Amino acid sequence: MAERVGIVAVGQTKYHPNRSDVNEEELAYEVIKQVLEATGLTLSDIDSAVTCSQDFWDGRTISNMNVQHVVGAHMGHEDKVAEDGINALYVGMSQVLSGHQDIVLVVAHMKESQGEKSLIENAAFDPALMRPLGLDFLSTAALQAKRYMYKYGITAEQCAKVAVRNRSNAKNNPFAQEPMDITVEDVLGSKMLSSPIRHLDTKPVSDGACAMILTREEKARKLTSKPVWILGASNCYETHYLGDRDLANCDALVKAAKKAYSMAGIKNPLKQIDVAEISGEYSYQELLWMEGLGFCGRGEGGMLIDSGVTKMGGKLPVNPSGGVLPGNPNGVAGMTRVAEAVLQLRGEAGDRQVKGAKVALAHGVTGICGQHQCVMILGNT
Amino acid sequence: MARESPKKKAKESKPEYIQVAFNTPRPYNWSTGKYLGKFYAEAKENRKIVGNRCPKCKEIWLQPTVVCPKCKVDMGWDWVQLPQTGTVTQYTYLVYPLWDPHYGEKWANPYPSAMILLDNGFYYRAFLEETDKDKLRVGMRVQAVWKEDYEERGQGPADILYFRTIED
Amino acid sequence: MPNRVAIVGIGQTYHKRGRPDVNQAEMVGEAVRAALADAQLSIKEIEGVFFSNMETFEGIYLPDHGMAAEVGSFGKPGLKVCTGGTSGGSVVVEGFYFVASGLYDLALVIGFEKQDCGDTTAAITAATTPVWGKGAATGAIGEFAKQALSYMETSGAKEEHAAMVRLKADRGACRNPYAHLKLGLKSVDEILQSGYLVWPLRLLDFCPQSCGACALIFASEGSAKKITKKPVWVADVEVVHQEPFRAGIFGDPTGQETYTQHVACERLYRRNGITNPRKDIDMAEIYEPSNWEEMNLYEHLHFCEKNEGWKLIEKGITEMEGEFPVNPSGGVIATNPIGATPVIRVAEAALQIRGDAGEHQATRDIKTALATALGGPNWTVLTLLKRSL
Repeated sequence: MAERVGIVAVGQTKYHPNRSDVNEEELAYEVIKQVLEATGLTLSDIDSAVTCSQDFWDGRTISNMNVQHVVGAHMGHEDKVAEDGINALYVGMSQVLSGHQDIVLVVAHMKESQGEKSLIENAAFDPALMRPLGLDFLSTAALQAKRYMYKYGITAEQCAKVAVRNRSNAKNNPFAQEPMDITVEDVLGSKMLSSPIRHLDTKPVSDGACAMILTREEKARKLTSKPVWILGASNCYETHYLGDRDLANCDALVKAAKKAYSMAGIKNPLKQIDVAEISGEYSYQELLWMEGLGFCGRGEGGMLIDSGVTKMGGKLPVNPSGGVLPGNPNGVAGMTRVAEAVLQLRGEAGDRQVKGAKVALAHGVTGICGQHQCVMILGNT
Repeated sequence: MARESPKKKAKESKPEYIQVAFNTPRPYNWSTGKYLGKFYAEAKENRKIVGNRCPKCKEIWLQPTVVCPKCKVDMGWDWVQLPQTGTVTQYTYLVYPLWDPHYGEKWANPYPSAMILLDNGFYYRAFLEETDKDKLRVGMRVQAVWKEDYEERGQGPADILYFRTIED
Repeated sequence: MPNRVAIVGIGQTYHKRGRPDVNQAEMVGEAVRAALADAQLSIKEIEGVFFSNMETFEGIYLPDHGMAAEVGSFGKPGLKVCTGGTSGGSVVVEGFYFVASGLYDLALVIGFEKQDCGDTTAAITAATTPVWGKGAATGAIGEFAKQALSYMETSGAKEEHAAMVRLKADRGACRNPYAHLKLGLKSVDEILQSGYLVWPLRLLDFCPQSCGACALIFASEGSAKKITKKPVWVADVEVVHQEPFRAGIFGDPTGQETYTQHVACERLYRRNGITNPRKDIDMAEIYEPSNWEEMNLYEHLHFCEKNEGWKLIEKGITEMEGEFPVNPSGGVIATNPIGATPVIRVAEAALQIRGDAGEHQATRDIKTALATALGGPNWTVLTLLKRSL
């Protein structure tokens, strides 16, 4: 690879349960303005825009028409990715690395308050075999959680600790939607949604957007004094039908992480990564994904959170921003993780800053039981 | 006399395909946001058609937008009232009903759809009242007809029922 | 220095009105297996899989996830893009960037649409801003009708010319084993006697709703030369989008607005030293949703001067045997699985360059070809292909 790809600015909205005061265009423009102001660029300077939204959630075919002009796509280069937002960043990265595009604007937006979650998610299932069962992502996540807990003896308390830690970390994050002081007992006493997943094991409905600007190394250094480099990235698909895989595994994540690590020269994640921002709408997922990312061995996710390694001040803090559980729209969550990682590496993470962070990991996930995973390694040197 | 009717020659059996139908409605709650919201408010309260004007190129945009697509600058809050009379530049009518994706019904709207050049040079798409296709022609003068009932308005562009042919 | 990218494998399904014999995943699998067979590769060697599909047409959310097993994308990186009618063009561009960047050596690019699964017109009508445009929407058909009227008035084209374009397309389709609509039309008169759908468009003037998939295998230079003796090089791509036309969505009835095709071609031609398109390029596979639009596009793609598009067809210049063949495959008016159509344009152009188009191979030797994608509103993706760089 010739020049590296640098992220020069990031923007996020404060995540909110119902942004009925704006439509998609205005929502996206809030974050686009943030990144333009940070870099001093205008929309006319953007060579290519990569947007990320889901037609099903926006309720509109060709949902990128909602945000066309705010990304400056008038007579311009524009693309739309239909996976989690972090994948739009991956596409933007390939555009810069290919040498064909210079300054790329990446935006993800979603208003979960607009649509009916269960109905939309149900449409992701095979129409003939799985849809009639009325499945949605929550009920299948519950299946995965049950399987994972059964196979490795992960306890509900260990899952609850994820929620407790994330909601508490969110108190230091000005963008967080619902920071909370809760205990494991609070989580275990909250309403059961689909066993074993309880209300506090999951996230509230959320609206928001996230944007960033990428460019090649030479230009990045001119646009900001603190560029953040994408050292490695990859994504990976898993099989679709639930019975085709052991739900207690996350092979797609293992593969994506392996490729991202090898690109970034990471051989020992626990040692070489200073902070990790991991996506996960359900508390058990963080434990499972940490195993997939190699932070611990298979089945040791519960022990890892018990050990305190992943809390603020620990050896590898996970989700200082609070992650997805305090509230993040599902199509934007992965990009938000990258934005938070960038803030960490720029030293701009305020009260949630992990001191001296040099290498960060960001992760995004799309689909049923994490069928599509994406991992990015970022660094500031 | 035959005991049975003669057997037909056996036809090759056609494969049976399984078809799975889904007719679940998917409800959505869309927000108009600030800019479209102003259009909606002016339509409902004052039966006016408004668009916002770009501070740089001075072009009027309808639907109102937050960034001027051509100049790529903030539109600001400069609103212009549009005239409600115009000339039909193109029209077309449906011969068969379409599915209305927002109500899930077969929607055979009898009114022709037209592109109207409003008197200030702005193109506006709307229905025409005239359903007799022999009376339709490019160049006819038309005027907006609003829903009279205040309570029924509040649907934005749908507050205008159609454009009526006027004698010039 | 970007890496060079070539197409080393091409596969399509036999496009049809309805495919009740397969589900969406199985249909795509057919195209993927055809592409792999063409390249003589196995799915194991493919490093990334990129999809294009308009999910609202089939009502399947995350369709690329559902076909992970059938297509062989499980365990591999990939993602899905969706940019409306240009989705197929966008996925070709993304595949191109991913290989040009060096991130992938061998990438599989797939476009698909199984339109018998949903109501296309309803889905297109749902592309209007929900709180704005649904009131007077008429789907794509009404828009093209208005545009055709305007073209007749400004350029002097007659219904005969549109019929000639339709005849050319059908002749090509009848010689293309993969095409959907093979009508066996015999003459311009036969077409002029057929019925109108939305005046002035006849039922025959409009593209069908097809079920189909098309897959391409992209390779970096080093791999391409090992895999095939006939790589088709992707010389350049261009993407231009814009907000909807003021006076329409898919077409501009006023004849005054700028088409993104015009801007995209200006940029692409300038970068590639093309000053006389009909001489510097040998043929084009363009995305023409109706025959009227084809004549209009000749002008916007700089194949001729303004208002002269109908002359090209009148003189037979764009016929398969002509000096500048356009859509010898039958084009979009014969086959239109929306998510796949732009990929099919690239595939067909590549087949022409390879000399593998069988009975619909153009008469003149094709060394350079242009493939276009069109989408609402006013979106263009161009791909320039060459036999050698």
